Amino acid sequence: MINSITARGISKSYAEQAALHKIDFAVQPSEIFGFIGADGAGKTTLFKILTTLLKTDTGTAEVCGYDLEQDFLAIRRIIGYMPGSFSLYGDLTVEENLKFFAQVFDSTLESNFELIRDIYILLEPFKKRRATDLSGGMKQKLALCCALIHRPQALFLDEPTTGVDPVSRQEFWQNLKAVSHQGITTLVSTPYMDEALQCDRVALIQSGKILQIDTPANIISSFPKALIILKTSGNKNLLINSLKEIPLAESVFSFGETIHITCEPADKPELISKIKQNQQNISFVDNPQPDIEDCFLYYMQRENG
Amino acid sequence: MKHFKIFVWKEFLHIWRDKKTLMIIILLPIIEVLLFGFVLTSEINNVSLGIKDLDNSLWSKNLILKFHNSEYFQVRMLHSAPEVENALQSNSIKAVLEIKPDAERKMRAGESGIIQLLLDASDPNIARTIEVYVNNIMASSLPRAQPAQSYLSIIPLMYYNQELKSVFKSVPGLMAVVLMLICAMMTSVSLAREKETGSMNVLLISPLKPWHIVIGKMIPYMAISIVNILMITALSYFVFGVPIRGSLLLFFFFSILYVISALSFGLLISTIVQTQQIAMMISLAGLMLPTTLLSGLIYPIRNMPGWLQRFSGIFPARWFVEILSHIMLKDSPVSYYLQPAGIILLITLILLVIATKRFKLRYD
Repeated sequence: MINSITARGISKSYAEQAALHKIDFAVQPSEIFGFIGADGAGKTTLFKILTTLLKTDTGTAEVCGYDLEQDFLAIRRIIGYMPGSFSLYGDLTVEENLKFFAQVFDSTLESNFELIRDIYILLEPFKKRRATDLSGGMKQKLALCCALIHRPQALFLDEPTTGVDPVSRQEFWQNLKAVSHQGITTLVSTPYMDEALQCDRVALIQSGKILQIDTPANIISSFPKALIILKTSGNKNLLINSLKEIPLAESVFSFGETIHITCEPADKPELISKIKQNQQNISFVDNPQPDIEDCFLYYMQRENG
Repeated sequence: MKHFKIFVWKEFLHIWRDKKTLMIIILLPIIEVLLFGFVLTSEINNVSLGIKDLDNSLWSKNLILKFHNSEYFQVRMLHSAPEVENALQSNSIKAVLEIKPDAERKMRAGESGIIQLLLDASDPNIARTIEVYVNNIMASSLPRAQPAQSYLSIIPLMYYNQELKSVFKSVPGLMAVVLMLICAMMTSVSLAREKETGSMNVLLISPLKPWHIVIGKMIPYMAISIVNILMITALSYFVFGVPIRGSLLLFFFFSILYVISALSFGLLISTIVQTQQIAMMISLAGLMLPTTLLSGLIYPIRNMPGWLQRFSGIFPARWFVEILSHIMLKDSPVSYYLQPAGIILLITLILLVIATKRFKLRYD
């Protein structure tokens, strides 16, 4: 199958500070491909490069068959881009924003209506409202509508769900799935690990390097370590510090209410008995399963040595 | 063209929605003209003038009567040197006219130095104005057959603005400042806003061409500037009686040329800065201040040191003021101000070339 987007060895630094280091990946047509990483991992820089706004230092990419360097103007005509911050016009109404972006992109609201119908129906009651007065979730929906209005071949969404409430986030992902079913390749970045599960494939990215690329299910199932999850009724920080003292424990991380400990699978029974010996006020979670965040932390630790 | 139209439509909406800014840019010129016209005037009315008559002739009495009848002076007769000194020091009079003994006889004999004018020059502008007024009244009291110079060392002749009304001089300068403020600041801020909010990135990816964005930003402010030009002109004509002696068509033609040069400045600023705040700072400190100070609006250019005079030449305002006074006050032939017009055109072209070169389609 021909890839929709291919990146080969993209590197970029700002004033000697490396932002991206030899990024390679390939995205298939109508795939939802997620970049998962913390703030400052290089996601926005990568998106700006792929949308032809920013030049690379080294490396190249092809977007829908066009070369990033030679055909950057052609690429601009066939992509949709939603920057990280809300970058529509707050002083224009919903309707006016749509009209402007439709006409600028040689389109009309009607011509690609089936693509945005589901999103537009939610926006329609507010069409006379100024964009700045919309809720966070509505703003994102409007921005998505504007990015889709000319039926792009590839859609680049930079942290579209940051600062949006959980219900709107869920709706937003439903919208994205519907869009990808219409044959639009979607690249999306997010700092929320749980959103990885919404993507067809994800790239885990940290400090400008890709740690792993695979389907979320494969990433989780190939987690090579044994996981112990426990809760405490005592002082969590003290517990974490003392758990880190145990040589068999390879990593100890706080996950909200719980503590995640990893070790070699063979060492698990011994580690559990050691923890039980030394600690009171703790309870083990039965049959612990790793999630994307465990995998992310594992790869991150491996990368840092 | 469709792209361009929709972009200009969007720009007009931005301006229309921001009512406060719109009010400021519409009202500011009116307020400025009224301020300069009524308050910041160096005109003289009711100046207290001391007269010391040592001649006591019919002629000198006649001359004093003329000063009495003038609306510009309030005459106070003085009799001794200490009295003169006192009055000047206590600020109760601004000038003293001393008619020397035997003035009438000496005048008929064609001698000079018959009258002395003492001026309180602590405000040189007012002193100079008083001198002119006094000379004008004096001139009418001297026999026509004799050249006026034989009685007074200098009799400057004030043309075009015989009454030295400062509002005449202020209007071109005000137009220069107000148009520079609106055009340069508003375009640079408006472009910087697109960068700051990130919408510029979306525009760059769109099929819009750079000239759509650049010219599209200029058009609405050009429209507002034309409204401002009309308002300033009407206000100064109807309220202050500032004439436009030359062609109205040329007046608007060169005003629009100046507006384009100011817009180009705004454009250049916006290619340098990333935020609205810095755009505003640069337009205010880097453009408004030199425009106000170096256009001749407040301080005459010929009073500046040579290097500063040359420096003032890089700002179109100076040349615009020169053109406007040619058209409004003198009705000079076009050839008299082709040079300043050419300089404005050159500055504009240079700015536009640099700005276009600096307008980045992609970032490094």
